[in-house]
Amino acid sequence: MIEVEGLRKSIRNGTRTVDILKGLDFEIPKGQFAAIMGASGSGKSTLLGLLAGLDSPSSGEVRLNGIAISYLPEDKLAQVRGKTIGFVFQSYQLIPTLTALENVLLPYELNVDGSDAKAGQSRARELLASVGLGDRFGHYPVQLSGGEQQRVALARAFILRPPIVLADEPTGNLDSTNGAHVLDLLLNLNRTEGTTLVLVTHDAVLAAYADRRITLRDGLIVSDETVPAGGAAELRQGSAVTEAGAE
Amino acid sequence: MASLSYRSAIKIAAREMRSSRGKFFFVVLSVAIGVAALTGVRGFSSSFRATLLLRARSIMAADVSARMFEQPTPEQQKGLDAIAAEGVEMTPITELLSMASSPKTLDPLLVSIKAVDPAMYPFYGTVELAPAAALKNVLKPDTVVVADDLLVRLHLKVGDELKIGTRQFRIASVVVNEPDRLSGNFAAGPRVLISREGLDASGLLAPGSHAGQRYLFKLPARRDGSAIPDSAVSAFSERLEKLLPEARVIDYRETNPALTRGLDRATSLLSLMSLVALVLGAIGVGMAMRAHLQQRLDTIAIMKSLGARSGQIMKIYLLQTLLLGLLGGVLGVALGVGVQMAFPHFLAKLLQMQTEVHLQAQTVLIGLGAGVLTTLLFTLPPLLDIRGVRPILILRRAVEENDDPFVTAALRKLRKNLAQIGAALLILAGLAGIAATLSDSATVGKVFSLGLVAVLAVLVASSALVLAGLRRFLERTRLSLPSPMRHGLANLYRPGNPSAALLAALGLGVMQIMAVYFVQQSVVRELHISSAPNLPNVFLIDITPDEINGVRTLIKAQPSVTAPAEMMPVVSSRIIDIDGVPANQARLKNFPKRMLQSVSLTWSADLPPGTSAVAGKWWQKDEKQPVVAVSQRDAERLGVKVGSHITFAAQDQRFTAKVVALTKADGQHAYSRASFILPQTALAGLPVVWYGGVHADPARVGELQRALYRAYPTVTVINVAQALETVRSVVIQITYVIQFLAAFSIFAGILILASSIAGTRYRRIKEVVVLKTLGATRRQIATIFSIEFAVLGLVAGVVGIIFANVIAKVLLHRMDVVFHWQWGWSFVALLATAALTVTTGWVASHRILGQKPLEVLRDE
Repeated sequence: MIEVEGLRKSIRNGTRTVDILKGLDFEIPKGQFAAIMGASGSGKSTLLGLLAGLDSPSSGEVRLNGIAISYLPEDKLAQVRGKTIGFVFQSYQLIPTLTALENVLLPYELNVDGSDAKAGQSRARELLASVGLGDRFGHYPVQLSGGEQQRVALARAFILRPPIVLADEPTGNLDSTNGAHVLDLLLNLNRTEGTTLVLVTHDAVLAAYADRRITLRDGLIVSDETVPAGGAAELRQGSAVTEAGAE
Repeated sequence: MASLSYRSAIKIAAREMRSSRGKFFFVVLSVAIGVAALTGVRGFSSSFRATLLLRARSIMAADVSARMFEQPTPEQQKGLDAIAAEGVEMTPITELLSMASSPKTLDPLLVSIKAVDPAMYPFYGTVELAPAAALKNVLKPDTVVVADDLLVRLHLKVGDELKIGTRQFRIASVVVNEPDRLSGNFAAGPRVLISREGLDASGLLAPGSHAGQRYLFKLPARRDGSAIPDSAVSAFSERLEKLLPEARVIDYRETNPALTRGLDRATSLLSLMSLVALVLGAIGVGMAMRAHLQQRLDTIAIMKSLGARSGQIMKIYLLQTLLLGLLGGVLGVALGVGVQMAFPHFLAKLLQMQTEVHLQAQTVLIGLGAGVLTTLLFTLPPLLDIRGVRPILILRRAVEENDDPFVTAALRKLRKNLAQIGAALLILAGLAGIAATLSDSATVGKVFSLGLVAVLAVLVASSALVLAGLRRFLERTRLSLPSPMRHGLANLYRPGNPSAALLAALGLGVMQIMAVYFVQQSVVRELHISSAPNLPNVFLIDITPDEINGVRTLIKAQPSVTAPAEMMPVVSSRIIDIDGVPANQARLKNFPKRMLQSVSLTWSADLPPGTSAVAGKWWQKDEKQPVVAVSQRDAERLGVKVGSHITFAAQDQRFTAKVVALTKADGQHAYSRASFILPQTALAGLPVVWYGGVHADPARVGELQRALYRAYPTVTVINVAQALETVRSVVIQITYVIQFLAAFSIFAGILILASSIAGTRYRRIKEVVVLKTLGATRRQIATIFSIEFAVLGLVAGVVGIIFANVIAKVLLHRMDVVFHWQWGWSFVALLATAALTVTTGWVASHRILGQKPLEVLRDE
């Protein structure tokens, strides 16, 4: 569960202070798929960064599964981040010098004691196979297409079975076929792993798959709609069928 | 808490190194050149010093000598036996004046007898004989070896008999040069070398005879073949002084101040060069690692967003730094050893001296250790910056980009980040530690570290000023400037540009290189003066006042004499009391009370050549008061200082003189052996004997000796030309080696600086691509970079050169060497710095300029 209370974020730009988020309050219950929408500059990515503890707010609080993360010391925050959140970025953000398998394994190596390295490796292989990259373990990011790189990023996001997955425009850099494929995989993994999913997008079509749509404008929530039960789930089911047809 | 395994950390570190080979090449190169210079210079200079010290020791024929005036007491003998049991070799030398005669001539001649044990003496150097032979093969209980002028005066030849005391001895050979001629007594009369058994048999050593006894000591050789360190010699001297309080203990470094000074200065300079090599290498590494980590910000942010803690990421980059340091260190040591082996071959013709190169494990390990340690130290600040990288960077780059200029950022860091202050202190402490370990000269270590801190502060401040000035200048003139000029200047202060860091690195580099050059220049100049070819090399003893003018005229007329003669009057005297304390109650240090009964006074209106006042003030020419200048060493032994009063007695006159100055002599002039100098009026009317020093062409000293003997047969001529030539050649060899090693260090320094500049080229790739995409030609881009680099070079050059002069001045002052501002060379260095920066910038950017934009973007 994600709880956001009075969240504000301002940045200094030379002598000027820019208010990016102007006081947000909302909750995302466990297992919900929420889409955060808004135009460029509305504060979506900043909000996502604050939810993930990648940045600290100017005021207000974010709680992940009851843990207030906003003012935790950096190393403690990293620990929470590693164990609680899986991240999918628009531009994949794979480590260029590591292979696909090593990239997926990295959060495991960073956050789990090395005593059970084999378990980590078998989980990484399993995840890579589940996103259709069973034959690409040893490939470096530069040897993979954009869609393949994003699939590696998906596998990486789920390796530690995080209760929350945050995705920042995960299909933004992909063509429509690859975008649909990645989205489908993301939703499938979300469903099978039972995670809470927060997806930032400005794409209404993509947001239509979510259980809930929070729209931001100029740092404020201008709408927060929850899709009636069943609607989004049907769409998601449909997407999988479409995807299967497209392939 | 989970921690990233070393295996995984090394894997990531190694992969990054492999993927950016080009960039890491410069890091490894910087470390390697620094370590190579360090290992090469240190290794060779240690071998060279060992060889030189051996020659310096030969001037005394021993490491330490102790002149005794009485036989050792049983307790002292026990102490000497204990010393011998520790492996210290010891041999006595007895010197005395006596008469010698021959059956051929009736007149006896006063001779200076020196009894030695030919099996032991000399410990260092050789006694040159004519015809050539080894002393131990020639000097037997029934033979003597004599100076050439004894043969001339007594009309004898080798093989004739000479009567000394009650015994006849066969003259077995002629002594041409004794290694310790300069450290022995300049007694009247030609030299006669006799064996100890011969002396005992001659009956001259009757109780009450005025024989002087000198013990020569040789410390045990070190196992690794390196020179016996000065500290061991000093410790041994102190031990002897305690054991034999009445003895005058001197070590080999005191026999010839010119040579010792040459060695000391060479040591200081070589230390400076080693430090410079190392710190230059470290600067190169610091620059390259800073650039590398800047480019790794994304990776670091990704890892943090995946849950990596700063410590885990630092582990990766720390391991990477260690790997780079080790790689560079090993390569550098290999290069350094090669260079060390090559030096003697390069220098063989110049030095005509065999330098035995000892490959010392210690030098190699120190090189490797210092390389890795400085790499780690200088990478510490960029490594600590990892903690400040916020993972939000991947989502919102613009906010996280550090737009502050370098100085503001640095100040903010210092304010906010105690770790950075700690790192800065650690670097300084580490550097001071390395400097203390590497530097055989504490002064060099101290001045160097302080200079480094000061120059860094000034460079940071001046770079802030220059960059702020440029910003203001551009804001006012903006569009009225030509585009390349505007762009080039703007590049200097644009966010993320490493110009401030580059400025600091370049400034430090220039400072160090030029400091080496300036110090080297002054030291070499001074060494040339101290080994000047016209110093006295022939000394004249026992010239009466009636003979002095005639001797002066004769010397002036000699074609073999190349410099005006230095003449010194000597009045025999004794000391009655010191500061009111009677002589027999005075508290003296290593100065036998008996010696107070026989001191030599001299006069001079001005400071004599080769003598300087180290305390107090020399008197006016027309000084009427009885004042005295005392040699510093004797002042210490007698316990007098400026303001003390000494009462002297000569014949039936008694007078008290106030000590107004303490003097130090260079050991190379007639007045160098004067302990008490007074104004002439103080000694008026007292009986005087003259001593003189002349420089004659070493090959023609014989002519001078013969001419003097013909006109003034009672004047003793002591020829030290041969011994002085040895000293001169050694000092000249030191200057060659200094110049050679300085050139090597400077060359290595330039290479490292060039690689630092080249290392920044990766930052320019994007800029070049954008400019090219907008239609800029290669020439236009090159012009923009030239302006940027030229400004950097000039600013760094000005600050670096000013500080180089300041550091050279302080160091030289400490080394007692005169410093001259070198405007000409400073200006040349300034232009050279700008030219180097621009040229290196061009060369490094050449490949980038030639690349197609898309090619670069794909690489990115």
